Amino acid sequence: MTLYAVEHLSLEIGGARILEDVGFAVAAGGCTALVGASGSGKTMSCFAPFGLAAGRPRGSARLEGAELIGLDERALRPLRARAGFVFQQPLTALTPHLTIGAQLAESASALGGARPDRRAMAAMLDRVGLSDPEAKLDQWPHRLSGGERQRVMIACATAHGPRLLVADEPTSALDAELRHAILDVIGRLREDGLGVLLVSHDLPLVARHADRVVVMDAGRVVEDGPARAVIETPAQEVTRALIAASPRLDSPPPDLPVPGAPLIEARGIAVGFRTPGWRRGRFQAVADAGFALAEGEALAIVGRSGSGKSTLARAVARLGPCDSGAVLWRGRPLPPRARMGTAERRLIQPVFQDPAASLDPRWTVAQSIAEPLRNLIPAMDDAARAARVGAVLDEVELGERFAARRPGELSGGQAQRVAIARALAADPEAILLDEATSALDVLVAGRILALLGRLQASRRLAILAITHDLAVAHALCHRLAVMEAGRIVEIGPVPQLLASPQSAALTRLVAAQ
Amino acid sequence: MRAAAVTLAAIALLALLLPLVLPWGHADIDWNAVRAPAFTPGHPLGTDSVGRDLLVRVAVGTRITLAVALAAALVALVVGVAWGAVAGWIGGRVDEAMMRVVDALYALPFMFVVIVLMVVFGRSVLLVFLGIGAVEWLTMARVVRAQVMTLKQRPFVLASEAAGARGPAILTRHILPNTAAAAIAYLMLTVPQVVMVESFLSFLGLGVQEPLTSLGILVHDGADDMDIAPLALAVPCFVLVALVVALNRIGEGLRERMAA
Repeated sequence: MTLYAVEHLSLEIGGARILEDVGFAVAAGGCTALVGASGSGKTMSCFAPFGLAAGRPRGSARLEGAELIGLDERALRPLRARAGFVFQQPLTALTPHLTIGAQLAESASALGGARPDRRAMAAMLDRVGLSDPEAKLDQWPHRLSGGERQRVMIACATAHGPRLLVADEPTSALDAELRHAILDVIGRLREDGLGVLLVSHDLPLVARHADRVVVMDAGRVVEDGPARAVIETPAQEVTRALIAASPRLDSPPPDLPVPGAPLIEARGIAVGFRTPGWRRGRFQAVADAGFALAEGEALAIVGRSGSGKSTLARAVARLGPCDSGAVLWRGRPLPPRARMGTAERRLIQPVFQDPAASLDPRWTVAQSIAEPLRNLIPAMDDAARAARVGAVLDEVELGERFAARRPGELSGGQAQRVAIARALAADPEAILLDEATSALDVLVAGRILALLGRLQASRRLAILAITHDLAVAHALCHRLAVMEAGRIVEIGPVPQLLASPQSAALTRLVAAQ
Repeated sequence: MRAAAVTLAAIALLALLLPLVLPWGHADIDWNAVRAPAFTPGHPLGTDSVGRDLLVRVAVGTRITLAVALAAALVALVVGVAWGAVAGWIGGRVDEAMMRVVDALYALPFMFVVIVLMVVFGRSVLLVFLGIGAVEWLTMARVVRAQVMTLKQRPFVLASEAAGARGPAILTRHILPNTAAAAIAYLMLTVPQVVMVESFLSFLGLGVQEPLTSLGILVHDGADDMDIAPLALAVPCFVLVALVVALNRIGEGLRERMAA
């Protein structure tokens, strides 16, 4: 039985066509996934009929037979109450000063429903798989992990008994381990007849949980069919690109360059932080961790968020605190962070997760890329510097026409290419990739990963890659180090570790992939 | 915001140009027209109790008020940005110490301090500049410190360190330019505050020295004669209100534009 049907939906904002003739359906108890690259219109298709997006949509969207399009805000509100919404950012979507119970009661009663008692609220939390629901009711959001908060968000979105759940990228901000768990929770809610509309850019992920997949591109539906059929026999180029872009563990191992002489050796690295607040203490983020990296070799450090992988890599690259331990570069010790000279800084350059935040918003692309040249190679004259900026822009496949732009004029993928160009400008021997692809949409991330692979081969770069995505490690790295609670629990060649994981942490990660 | 900018420009332009055009200076006494009513030929707004042309005095008073406001706001900008940036950038104990100094100064009764200064050193425009600037920089320091503390967590600062930039270079080339928007917006909100403070001090007779004038003095003198010459009170009051409203609106507009 069809619960929600969208037909001939189109939307214009400021003269630009955002959606054109979009149609899809969600069955009661079914799950339809809208999939596409960013900017393909999938989020707009979900929110526009409910009056939650800019612009006035045209066409038809019927929820349980009631037409949504063309209604004013007052008429729309009771119909909107028949749906629940879950957004991408679980870390910021909960109100910090309200306990979980208070938020849940508010969500349940905001649309006119009765205020639920504690038993009912605990049952709601239990339904989304939260352990110890009774105690969780009295906790504040900051005590909960990202995965737990997203479960609370789902509980809030379904507290008023909606017929349809609209989830916009509910797992993109979460660890790989948690993604399937959250989607399983959403799947269980369907047993009571709840229809689910799921938005994602990760086709292989949603294909395992949805029963219908709708692929969108440039504001249009390009493919619509049963999930299994779409993923196994994709009919459209766009769909094939989306499937190919998600790196997979079962693809053949890439042709990696042969490692040369030893380059970096880190021994006994320990980093602790003072925990803030009135209950002062020390949190040991990294304890006695060490690894070696050779010329042209790539090492991936994987682990769940909070396992200390970023802290370790930054300590080694002298970009973060380091309490004890030694880093040897070709056998010579690297000075501590405050005493890093230009010659040492030139050895390793970082690329960070959020491309927009890692460029100074007021600087042009050329200025940002020239900064390491100016500081680390002071002998270089202006003409040579400009030539080098042009050359690295070509190397990251952007070209010199980007030189005068500012970060606000770049897409996420372009900004990340600029960050890579800046890292390469001063000819480092190694680069540190700190989740360099995880903030990007799948298609873009796939292209950045391919670019990094080409640079690795052409420059014989050593790479230290921090990631929570084993597929990235598989595509780029020779060896894998697994971290848990600040320690390296397992280290070895990628294919071998993936085939037979020894530690519990890696077993979990492999299972989640 | 456009209306506010036009109002501000018109007031500033009139204040600058009128004294050049009018035959009278702000201290010139017209013995033939002491306490002349408004619309007397040659004195469109009339004259005050000693025969000085009111129109030219309002223009000059506006000049002085604006000059004091701008100068004090600049003092606040320079001192506040430097103090806040250093505290926010270094952090830790230095930050604690520097911000406690700010807190202590906040706790001083400002009017009382200014009155003591005036009594001890005598009245001068310079002292008014310094006195007001010395108080207004406190909030600016807090605003800039908060900005610097969030900016230094941003990855581009770490990327700049990796690119070999030293602390002072990162602060001056990356962080300060990015606080400029907030600092300028706050500066624009400081100016009307200073206009008010200066007028208040002058109204109490603690500000600018006669025969030089300011809007506060004019309001004070006008209040004495409000029964016989209502325009002598109404005109400076109107200019003061228009000025403060326009400046506030512009500051507000800049802040919104920055947030967007």
